[in-house]
Amino acid sequence: MKCEQITELLPDYLQGSLSADQRHTLEAHLERCADCSEEAALWKKLSLLPVDQPGPASRARFEAMLQAYLAGRSNHPADERHWRKRVSAWNWNVFHWLRSPVGAMAWSVALLAIGVFAGLRLAGPKPPSPDLAAMQSELTSMKQLVVLSLLQQQSASARLEGVTWSTREQQLDPQVLSALLHTLRYDASVDVRLAALDALSRHGRQPQVHKGILDSLQQDQSPLVQVALIDLMLEWRDRDAAHRLQELEQTPNLNPTVRQRVEWAKSKLN
Amino acid sequence: MTLAPDEDLMLQVRDGAGETLGVLFDRYQTPLFNFYSKLTGDPTLSEDLVQEVFLRILKYRQSYRPGTPFRAWIYKIARNARIDHFRKFPRERTFEPEMLPPVIPTDSAQEQQEVELLQRALQQLPEEKREILLLCRFQELKYEEIASLLGCELNTVRTRIHRALQELRKNFHQLAQGTMLKKAEAAGNIPPQGGHHEV
Repeated sequence: MKCEQITELLPDYLQGSLSADQRHTLEAHLERCADCSEEAALWKKLSLLPVDQPGPASRARFEAMLQAYLAGRSNHPADERHWRKRVSAWNWNVFHWLRSPVGAMAWSVALLAIGVFAGLRLAGPKPPSPDLAAMQSELTSMKQLVVLSLLQQQSASARLEGVTWSTREQQLDPQVLSALLHTLRYDASVDVRLAALDALSRHGRQPQVHKGILDSLQQDQSPLVQVALIDLMLEWRDRDAAHRLQELEQTPNLNPTVRQRVEWAKSKLN
Repeated sequence: MTLAPDEDLMLQVRDGAGETLGVLFDRYQTPLFNFYSKLTGDPTLSEDLVQEVFLRILKYRQSYRPGTPFRAWIYKIARNARIDHFRKFPRERTFEPEMLPPVIPTDSAQEQQEVELLQRALQQLPEEKREILLLCRFQELKYEEIASLLGCELNTVRTRIHRALQELRKNFHQLAQGTMLKKAEAAGNIPPQGGHHEV
């Protein structure tokens, strides 16, 4: 047996699906051919590769997604089974009518019209499929439901995960944006608030988001968040940025590092 | 007690028992995560893609037909999720050997070193070769299932597996030689200290 013939047999041998005769022939070849036997040995060694483990938050994320999905589905007013019944009753009536002489004439005309329409459509350029677009938008709204669900979790890491998820979408629902603004304002964890600020800054052109972020400057007591907000204001260069910084500077007991940052930002603005 | 087959669980999910998906998640999250992490080398992206697969299962559960092997069905979704992801966010750079942590020649057990070399040799394979080895060796898909997944003939699957193995062997040899050279260099520069062992 030559090595070329092995090409066909080796994969089956490795998966243990060769007949006894073929297996003996192949094993005899492996004993003589160092290259082929090394390949077989490497195949066996592949099982020694370590199994990577997903992170501990993975299960919680799945649960949040599932709950959001189930909650979303139970909000639908029409029950699926009910719909199926209605559709099948409708089908029966329609077929009954189609079998009558008037129906036969009508569907012949309809078929002709469909043929002409399809011919014209197929000859021209294809428009993007509306089904695909609908599925895509459904998927996007599912992801946003997941974000909303995660942002309400007890654990800070789950909420952080929710904020991270929101950054994966280009467009966010107003509902998700206000949930993020709520997080920026009221979340107990500084990390989560910082992440929310980062996520929101991508949508800073929307007036509601812009105003929400600027308003939080007076509210937040954490120096880390305050510094991040000052930097963002500097980046945006709003007309009233200087005024807002002035207001912040007058806050009693302002952290010295933040005060220094305000000074620096003011000098940059001028 | 015997475990319910995946196919039965998926039919329950299809017929409205969404909670049952949790059992399938527990069975498949680690194999799927490994499929993605060994293909992309990116654990964060791999976790995202695993979530995406289960989201898609929920969305398209009505398309699951009785009698379809669940394993083959879920890997079809998994492949599509990855293809769609990279279509949406094209990679700035492909997985290159330099991105891997370097293999430092040590006095550790030979097997450990071989595993590290093998890991690197696998990562050096072109993606389609790495994928086919992952599918048949780690995900335990049958060749017929891989053929239908990749849309090719059964014999093509066999040929591709063999070619992937040949290249893996070539990479493994080159890496092993490189490591031996490094070891020799290290031994030349630093004189061995008698009785000293790293703890």
